[in-house]
Amino acid sequence: MKAFFTRLVVAAGIPLILIALIGTAFRDNGVADSTILFEGDSIYNHITIREAGGVRCMLFGRLRDNRETCIRIDAPDVSIFEYTAMMFTGFFFARKPERVLLIGLGGGYIPLVFKTHLHHVMLDVVEVDPLVAKLAGRYFDFSPSGNVTLDIRDGRQFLKKSHDSYDHIWIDAFNSDYIPSHMTTREFLLLTKTRLNEGGIVVQNVHNDNRLFDAQVATFRSVFRHVFLFKGKLSSNTIIVAADDPLYKPQDFRRQAGRFVGKIGAIDLAEQLAKYDPDPEIRTAPVLTDDYSPANLWIHKKRGVPR
Amino acid sequence: MMVNLSLAMLLFLFGAIIMGLEILSSNLMAPYFGGSVYVWGSIISSFMIHMSLGYALGGYLAKRNGTIAVLLRFLLAGSLLIILIPSIHNPLCSFMSERIDDMRYASLAAMLILSFPVLILAMICPYIVGIFSVFRLNSGMSAGLVLLVSTFGSFIGTNLTAFYLIDLYPVSTIIRILGVVGSAASLLSIGLNLDRRLKGMTSVGQSWIRTDRVRRL
Repeated sequence: MKAFFTRLVVAAGIPLILIALIGTAFRDNGVADSTILFEGDSIYNHITIREAGGVRCMLFGRLRDNRETCIRIDAPDVSIFEYTAMMFTGFFFARKPERVLLIGLGGGYIPLVFKTHLHHVMLDVVEVDPLVAKLAGRYFDFSPSGNVTLDIRDGRQFLKKSHDSYDHIWIDAFNSDYIPSHMTTREFLLLTKTRLNEGGIVVQNVHNDNRLFDAQVATFRSVFRHVFLFKGKLSSNTIIVAADDPLYKPQDFRRQAGRFVGKIGAIDLAEQLAKYDPDPEIRTAPVLTDDYSPANLWIHKKRGVPR
Repeated sequence: MMVNLSLAMLLFLFGAIIMGLEILSSNLMAPYFGGSVYVWGSIISSFMIHMSLGYALGGYLAKRNGTIAVLLRFLLAGSLLIILIPSIHNPLCSFMSERIDDMRYASLAAMLILSFPVLILAMICPYIVGIFSVFRLNSGMSAGLVLLVSTFGSFIGTNLTAFYLIDLYPVSTIIRILGVVGSAASLLSIGLNLDRRLKGMTSVGQSWIRTDRVRRL
């Protein structure tokens, strides 16, 4: 009997040890000289703060590092990702915005730019994950003070309960493998529209390599009279700028943008405006509604070859 | 044979419908209360409390009436209520989100929309177990088997809804489909007159397997 148990322990133990060894071997799959400053779970995410080569990143998920926000420690206002710089194209459409709403905090790169270079603009940030906000404060120097406020809440809930109105509403509340589907729908966009000042715009970051993209554009077009697309050159990001009454109409956009010279900190707006896509190839897709939004299935489906 | 097969089908089907509804709950709640973990807390806890009430009621009614016909009428009523959900969903959720400021309690209150259907559908397992024990019927359907069939149905219902149906149809359509399928199955079973067949089985004083064999011989 005793021998049986010994054998049982050995038989169960060896695979366990092997799994543990393989686990440790694969664990350090990041950059060689990277240091993990924090790793833990919030109610929504598994979050890692990693630093390598003078760049500090907030990573979501375990193995798939496909959502992250990074900041260069010596120059925090330099946009490491193309899309964060691209989102500032919104400033071309409304010359003097006074109040901006940002849905999705992440590491807090966008608020940092507002704090350093745009102090005259009020920025309200909404983030659903309390730990994200805490870590942004601890590792990315984010603080809701001065011209920046923070609310820990679901973005759509915030808009519904808030009675404030904004010149810009920026939406950056998703990653490449999960999207809160209640913030992709026509009803949601109609709600954002009611919170816009005259001439106000909605700016959203999307990925243009999955099937959801066409549906998102179709949904924006069903709500706003003008939808501008800026296509990333280095990434699969597209920035949607939508408005009913923008400063420029698509037909005279190119000419106006060509004349534009402007910088926000390290972000060259003229360079970002050059990414304007006047004739985007959008495939027929259904408008997403609260009743029908398979957003999280389509986000995983590649766009494939057009029919 | 007929009785067991029909009851197994019902267990499977309503197990699937109940979990299909749970998956769809998040789509029903998110536009009004967000997609946060609190909303899932409301959904799951609401299902649990109504299922537990349904279990108690199902067991009680089985002991008192002990006829499948009564259960089937309940299931029919529950299925018809499911068909109504898409129509009352918007006014109820809007009302709750406006009246109650804290979305944790607001979403919990809004889950009222599913309370009666879930309560009724949950009755099926204890009711069928109860019938078998009342009839002292060694039918081969043990309590464990009843739960197995029902829970396996839930497994299929969960994945069918989450993996495929949400991709294909609007949420309101899926809910109506679930209600129509449930109603059709209840009506069909009512038509089969299962109680008489069950009595036939017990009057022989043997399990269905034996009576079936006897008939064939």
